[in-house]
Amino acid sequence: MTTFVAIRDTVVDELRAILGEEGVLTGKAARYNRTRVPAPFPVHRWAEYVPDLVVLPRSAEQVSEIVKLANRERIPVVPRAGGTGLNDGALPLKRGIVVDIKRMNQIKEVDLVDRTVTVGPGINMLKLNEELRKHNVMFPDDPASYPCSLVGGRIGTSGWSLIGGRYGHTRDLVISFQIVLPTGEIIEVGDGGGRKIRKSSSGFQLKHLFMGHQGTLGIVTEATLELVPRPEMEFAAFFHYPSYTAAWESTGALAKSGLASLGGVVLFDEYKLRYLRRDDEAYIPRPDHVRAVVATALYGTRDEVEPAARRIMRIGRESGGTYLGDEISSGDWASRHDRYATPLHGRLDSGEVVPMSWHCEDASINYSQLPAVMEKWHAITARYAEKTGILDDWGMFAYTNGAYKPWGDYLTEIDIGIWEQKLSDDNWPDWVACKREIGQVALDHGGSITACHGATREGDAELIPVEMGGGFDVMLKIKAALDPNNIMNPGKYELDRAYGLDEKVFR
Amino acid sequence: MIGFRLSAQKPPEARRITDDVIQRFEHIYEVDPAKMTIIEQQDMPAWDTMRIVDSRWEHLAWMHDHWADTVLTAEDLGEGGPHPDG
Repeated sequence: MTTFVAIRDTVVDELRAILGEEGVLTGKAARYNRTRVPAPFPVHRWAEYVPDLVVLPRSAEQVSEIVKLANRERIPVVPRAGGTGLNDGALPLKRGIVVDIKRMNQIKEVDLVDRTVTVGPGINMLKLNEELRKHNVMFPDDPASYPCSLVGGRIGTSGWSLIGGRYGHTRDLVISFQIVLPTGEIIEVGDGGGRKIRKSSSGFQLKHLFMGHQGTLGIVTEATLELVPRPEMEFAAFFHYPSYTAAWESTGALAKSGLASLGGVVLFDEYKLRYLRRDDEAYIPRPDHVRAVVATALYGTRDEVEPAARRIMRIGRESGGTYLGDEISSGDWASRHDRYATPLHGRLDSGEVVPMSWHCEDASINYSQLPAVMEKWHAITARYAEKTGILDDWGMFAYTNGAYKPWGDYLTEIDIGIWEQKLSDDNWPDWVACKREIGQVALDHGGSITACHGATREGDAELIPVEMGGGFDVMLKIKAALDPNNIMNPGKYELDRAYGLDEKVFR
Repeated sequence: MIGFRLSAQKPPEARRITDDVIQRFEHIYEVDPAKMTIIEQQDMPAWDTMRIVDSRWEHLAWMHDHWADTVLTAEDLGEGGPHPDG
């Protein structure tokens, strides 16, 4: 069993020798601001999760030195990228050292011949694409946090992209990366060897082992990414329907269109429309018979997109949809690249406005199961909203989930407003139970409890062994072998079991 | 803006749109102030409301330009603008 100890002054001095004075932050503001992420957090116990200090490395060698020192001293290490996670991957559950990678944000090489760009993990996709535009190429990883999340966090989470149906998701767009292991060794992982090789059959496919590691297996220090031609044309079309069932059937028809330029299809349910009609300016004026909406988006060359757009319009209408108009289609679609800018308020049962933070519980659900899962998730949320008085159901959406083949299963999310100021030891267990029941429904319907956020924390994490079965035992063996002292992001994913620990994630 | 203009400061009177929503400017909606007692509604000069709305449109236009050279619409295809009852 690993026992973590307080950080001694001599350790801080050693870190300053590695990183320089400006690379080690011990002040209260620097530490408190790196305690949580947007995911709901027990704010009433904030002080228990504040890291002991923050370090800002500039190189893989510095990261390696930090990790070796932490190993020697048995200090927890938690990597943090943009801090935009909808899961608690970057939250220092056992305090220790937060490794903030934002200064590792260089573009190291743009290779227009073999179509790759090599970057530090601290670069943001929007800023990267501003630079790539001059070469008429793009890195098309497009989360809702596009303007603020970082490449390192996308790898740590194995992120999902809004336009993954066309271009793939993070795991498909990151060709290889460099990672510092928990014991300090620096290695390269890809499909096999070859930093710019997209497909290999050599050895184990280690890229996929470390993709989505949530900081439990090391710290990514460099990544080689895919470049695609900058799209000549974008087309978005939103349709409305008189019922969820009609919209669900139309979603299936659109997703199966076979159009290679189709970035994705999104189904917004009746609860989501009720919420939008209440609190979103684009939907407030919509009449009551607008009960569900389906959104589509295409990207590619003009020669691809124009005929594909005609087909999308035909399929949408023939499957019962009514076009919502150009303004809402193009405007709402553009806003989807930037959902983190949304001001957050929710409502009590009385309709009274209160400040709420946004929680979205995600899962991967097969198309056939979407209607049943939707009913159950709303029922669970309603039960806990009534019990706690601090939750607000903001509706659900289902988004095509497959890379290049956008049909079959869907990233399924329920958005829940949560009045964090009212969290306490009395109602936090209710929130955790709500999350756990939502996750269990996903498993009961043959799904996965998360499509893109990860599942490291209480309410999710205890379902990982259930979902993974015998695979979870393999995870424990890998964790123990690579991280013998359990210093990398301890307490996450139930991986403490590898060391004979079985603690609650939140105390 | 040169000098003081009352119209740039004082928002027009609100009209009710739904049980939850009021409107003072076209296409700009506000939560019914009666539903904002726990968190009180902020008084904003008219010019500041318009600045925020204009900034949002600029942001969306920037985002379109960031992602593709051209935005195709259904109207460009001759497939029609907004549906009359949508």
